[in-house]
Amino acid sequence: MNQIHFTINGLPCVCEAGASILQAAKLNDIEIPNLCNDESVRVYGACGLCAVEVLDDGRGKPVPKLLRACSAKVMEGYVIRFDTERVNRSRKIALELLMSDHTGDCRGPCQLNCPAGTDCQGYVKKIAGGDFRGAVGIIKEKIPLPASIGRVCPHPCEQNCRRGLVEQPLSIAFLKAHAADRDLAGETYRPEPAAETGKTVAVVGGGPAGLTAAYYLRLKGHSVTVYDAAAKMGGMLRYGIPAYRLPKDVLDREIAEIARLGVSMKNNVRIGKDITLEQLRQESDAVILAAGAWSSMQMRVPGEDLDGVTGGIQFLHDISSGEGEIPDLTGKKVAVCGGGNTAMDACRTAIRCGAETVYVIYRRTRSEMPAEEIEIEESAEEGVTYKFLTNPAEIVGENGRVKQIRLQIMELGEPDASGRRSPVPVAGAFETLDVDLVIMAIGQKPDTAGLDGVTLTKKGTVAADTATFLTNLPDVYAVGDLTNRGASIAIEAIGEAGRCAAVVDSALRGEMKPYSAPYYSQKTVTAEDLAGREKQPRCQMPVRPAAERAKDFAPVNLGLSDETAVQEAKRCLECGCHDYAECKLIRYAQQQEIHPERLRGVKHTPGQERRLVCIERDNGKCILCGLCVRICDEVAKQGILGLVGRGFPTAVKPEFQDPAAVAICRSCKKCALACPTGALKIIED
Amino acid sequence: MSIRLAVGQGSCGIAAGAQKVANALRPLLAGSEVQLGTVGCIGMCWLEPIVDLYENDTLKARLVRVQPNHAEAIAEAAKSGDLSGIAELVIQPEDSAFLEQQTRIALRNCGIIDPESLESAKAAGAYSALGKILSTGMTPEDVIEVIKVSGLAGRGGAGFPTWFKWNAARQSAGDEKYLICNADEGDPGAFMDRAVIESDPHTLIEGMLIGAYAIGAKEAIVYVRAEYPLAIRRLENAICDAREAGYIGKNIMETDFSCEFRIKAGAGAFVCGEETALIESLEGQRGMPRLKPPFPAQSGYWNKPSNINNVETFANVAWIISNGGEAFAAMGTEDSKGTKVFALTGKIRRGGLVEIPMGMTLRQVIFEIGGGIRDGGTFKAVQMGGPSGGCIPASLLDTVIDYKKLAATGAIMGSGGMVVMDDSTCMVSMAKFFLDFTAKESCGKCVHCRIGTKRLQEILTRITEGEGQEGDIELMEELCNAVRDGALCGLGQTAPNPVLSTLRYFRDEFEAHIRDKRCPAHTCTALLHVSIDAEKCRGCTACARNCPVYAISGAVKEPHEINADACIHCGRCKAVCKFGAVIVE
Repeated sequence: MNQIHFTINGLPCVCEAGASILQAAKLNDIEIPNLCNDESVRVYGACGLCAVEVLDDGRGKPVPKLLRACSAKVMEGYVIRFDTERVNRSRKIALELLMSDHTGDCRGPCQLNCPAGTDCQGYVKKIAGGDFRGAVGIIKEKIPLPASIGRVCPHPCEQNCRRGLVEQPLSIAFLKAHAADRDLAGETYRPEPAAETGKTVAVVGGGPAGLTAAYYLRLKGHSVTVYDAAAKMGGMLRYGIPAYRLPKDVLDREIAEIARLGVSMKNNVRIGKDITLEQLRQESDAVILAAGAWSSMQMRVPGEDLDGVTGGIQFLHDISSGEGEIPDLTGKKVAVCGGGNTAMDACRTAIRCGAETVYVIYRRTRSEMPAEEIEIEESAEEGVTYKFLTNPAEIVGENGRVKQIRLQIMELGEPDASGRRSPVPVAGAFETLDVDLVIMAIGQKPDTAGLDGVTLTKKGTVAADTATFLTNLPDVYAVGDLTNRGASIAIEAIGEAGRCAAVVDSALRGEMKPYSAPYYSQKTVTAEDLAGREKQPRCQMPVRPAAERAKDFAPVNLGLSDETAVQEAKRCLECGCHDYAECKLIRYAQQQEIHPERLRGVKHTPGQERRLVCIERDNGKCILCGLCVRICDEVAKQGILGLVGRGFPTAVKPEFQDPAAVAICRSCKKCALACPTGALKIIED
Repeated sequence: MSIRLAVGQGSCGIAAGAQKVANALRPLLAGSEVQLGTVGCIGMCWLEPIVDLYENDTLKARLVRVQPNHAEAIAEAAKSGDLSGIAELVIQPEDSAFLEQQTRIALRNCGIIDPESLESAKAAGAYSALGKILSTGMTPEDVIEVIKVSGLAGRGGAGFPTWFKWNAARQSAGDEKYLICNADEGDPGAFMDRAVIESDPHTLIEGMLIGAYAIGAKEAIVYVRAEYPLAIRRLENAICDAREAGYIGKNIMETDFSCEFRIKAGAGAFVCGEETALIESLEGQRGMPRLKPPFPAQSGYWNKPSNINNVETFANVAWIISNGGEAFAAMGTEDSKGTKVFALTGKIRRGGLVEIPMGMTLRQVIFEIGGGIRDGGTFKAVQMGGPSGGCIPASLLDTVIDYKKLAATGAIMGSGGMVVMDDSTCMVSMAKFFLDFTAKESCGKCVHCRIGTKRLQEILTRITEGEGQEGDIELMEELCNAVRDGALCGLGQTAPNPVLSTLRYFRDEFEAHIRDKRCPAHTCTALLHVSIDAEKCRGCTACARNCPVYAISGAVKEPHEINADACIHCGRCKAVCKFGAVIVE
């Protein structure tokens, strides 16, 4: 046969004459985006995604129009590109048009609200099937410390869980912890690192961010060393979170899994003191700063420098690092200032150290507290006294030591920028409490000593680019509490570190790919939409009685049983599209930046429609590529389906809207298998 | 001496009452020497119904706007030869000028011969061109050469050289080939194809037979829209007559040339005017375009080589064969040869069918032939080429009618729709009208057309409803370009033209709608503000009594007021005010 030569995106290709450009590309292992093409049926040309530009027709002239690769024949000497600005623009608008008429959730709201983008629906489904190891495999695509995070995470996933519209959200975090515990106890999921790349990465800080970056970079085959100033790895998970929430042996085992991959871990090394940043830069191909935020913010009230005044993190750190030497607060009165999770950890720890009275001083009311509801509840059970609508005005000392704390009485005024009603002092109203210890837990900031030459933000955090995670230094990246907006929850740091690892990996391979948030189709669901769902209450985590647990640092939570976990997992509404992994539409949509919202308008009415025995159709996801119609006609030789209507409302329905046509369906499922989106779903009865 | 009264009975004439006139005349003429005949459409829409009085086959008087109650006087005049009793019905000289300024080739017999009589057609020369070919031994290549010399180009809109398509189909391998006539005239405001079929079907048949001979087709098919029942009936009748007379079927005119004929009535989808969608429809499939290549000349109807031309194109063919390609090419411009038929409609004084040589200016057609704007309005723009075309503003009225020159303005020759607009037309609404049309008529196959035209239509709708946003114009331009480049067939590729051309010439109107929430033509009701000038109002209460939503109040003989919140901008108050006191802005 006659061989012809041409190039696609600059790559030299050869094929036999007569092939379409799309076929020719495929024969040369190049995928030109397409949605409506399938080799088993005739060329159709509807989607327009396969548009290519021919810059030279082999005779020195460009082809003026964009060609549809599915129908245009490849010719000798063609210089074909599908990455030109013109082609990208055409494909972009085709995708935007398609997405402007697309109603569906690519991914569940749980996953979209997880700062690390964990596939909650995916692992919950594995748990529902009793496959805990499989679940961990999915979790570890985003979180290398699932047993720890499952215990401590404030779970933004659950906040958006649609089961909450029915009765209560799924207990996603505890399911994660359960799966991870079972995995650690049994045949542990252990991915193997890729082949060695010979590149080295230094990670400064062995907390959740640093460990995460190290884990994913090691899996990519890079040589990674984590440096930490503390005696052990774990950062805030170890030194900031009390053992009754996260037992240290759980953390140890998870860190050991990371070390097992070949991540080198060096403790008791402080940057700027034991080793300089410059040294690390010279020794490594990339440096990732993930040192966290360890200094407690000052309250700026008189008496802050008295003995007996400490920061929340310092207090927790001192106890955790004391290796069992728990300070005796028996008979003491403790005031914890702040309403966040660190304040909760501090007040509950103080109780466990024997304090007689523990006050939480918070300037607003309970409903404005940023701490998790369960923490507030459990701390109150353990005997913490809440002083709402009070604000420290002065710490009164005697002989250089704390004696009293004077509180300004507050009331709630107008809502502030965060939407919470802002506290306003009540003129002249004060209250004084006798205290022995004051713990300031109103926030943390990083300690950037030793980070010479690194540009900081006005807040004193390290300035890092949000897409490349780069600092001002070309090979130094930074993530987590250390950077930009400062301290946040662990899962935020983990998410950032995971994304940063991907960027660093791409940079180490020669072409940096900055992070950009992928496009997802999302739909709005209300309680009315779910009104028909059977109510199944959320599982309850069994806990030790308050009187018992308040005395020690053993875990408060007793853990779920397998049975409870499986049952809980089965409550999942499976909001995310069943076909996400296979969906060509979203794959192409995520390959470039698209903004379908600018083309918003009427849409096809979504909803499940079951006209064929085993196929459910969702017109909200149908892109009218006609593949189901054509496969049914040309391959299955049934001709059951047809396009009905004209213009925008066109829809796939039984041919001639004839319900009798459906009767001849033999459930071959070829239509659903060919569907490039999640519009068709096979229902296995 | 023979006297004949011919009543113009195209669909348009019938709609205006021509059949009633004929029915009224028939008993009055029974038993007299005066014959009563039927002709098709002469193309003077504003004068229908029209009755022509022939004396020895020479037009003696053209009577216009005839009503059944004129029948007696007409019958009397026809019998007596004294026309004084019907003087008021005789066409005015300036109206006659409408025809006198035209050069009719495709329409040469329309309104003159009896469309239901083969004899009448033959008397006017029908089948003589076919006879010339078959009797003088012209080969198909000879025929194609004559057409090539003539410069005839596709009159359906694309303007592709006819000889080239014929030659491509001729050259395609295989002895099963088809010749198809596209009579799916779908542009709003275009009706020349209907007029030709209803008025002179044999000219179409002859042109198609010549085409079939040239490409080697043994079957010819007319794809005509089912909304043209009279055209279908007259064409069926003509095919029967032609078959009986030996012009259709086996061994035509006793030669080796054989060709069968048939009609396919389409169900009225605009996209079926696109040749590959037309083929799908002919095959019994949903009317959706096919990808090109392959072109129909290689693989068309049932995947056989097929040639598709428009009615008007075929209507020129016999004339060209009879008179020679040079005679046709002698008319027109360097780029565009021969004549073109236009359907002149809208705010024009004399609307109808106009056939003129290429090269005339738009101003000549609209002002000299069409008589300019009616009701004292001012010319604003003319939409050329229907939903696939564009508008041409007053500043470009001297544009010469020629494929390239029209295309340079952003409009197209198209099938010849010429919709004239005056200053009461809102160009945004005009663009919206055409996008409403194309969005509805999109077959739904390709993404760019199905969703793109819908989004364009939605943006235009929100602009006319006062919801336009900054950036809408740029977004529309981006969408228009994307749809033009990305759509699968001609319908989608040209659908943005009305938007692009109105944006090109009337961008300020879009901006007024979007930024000032104002419709300069005062037609977008959501953007109107209606008020009463207290100085002029006499308190007659007419407006208040006629307001459908009771938004007007005021005491008798006191100035009235309009409650702007309740007002629905229907304009009825302005219509009933005798004092010009209602201000619409």
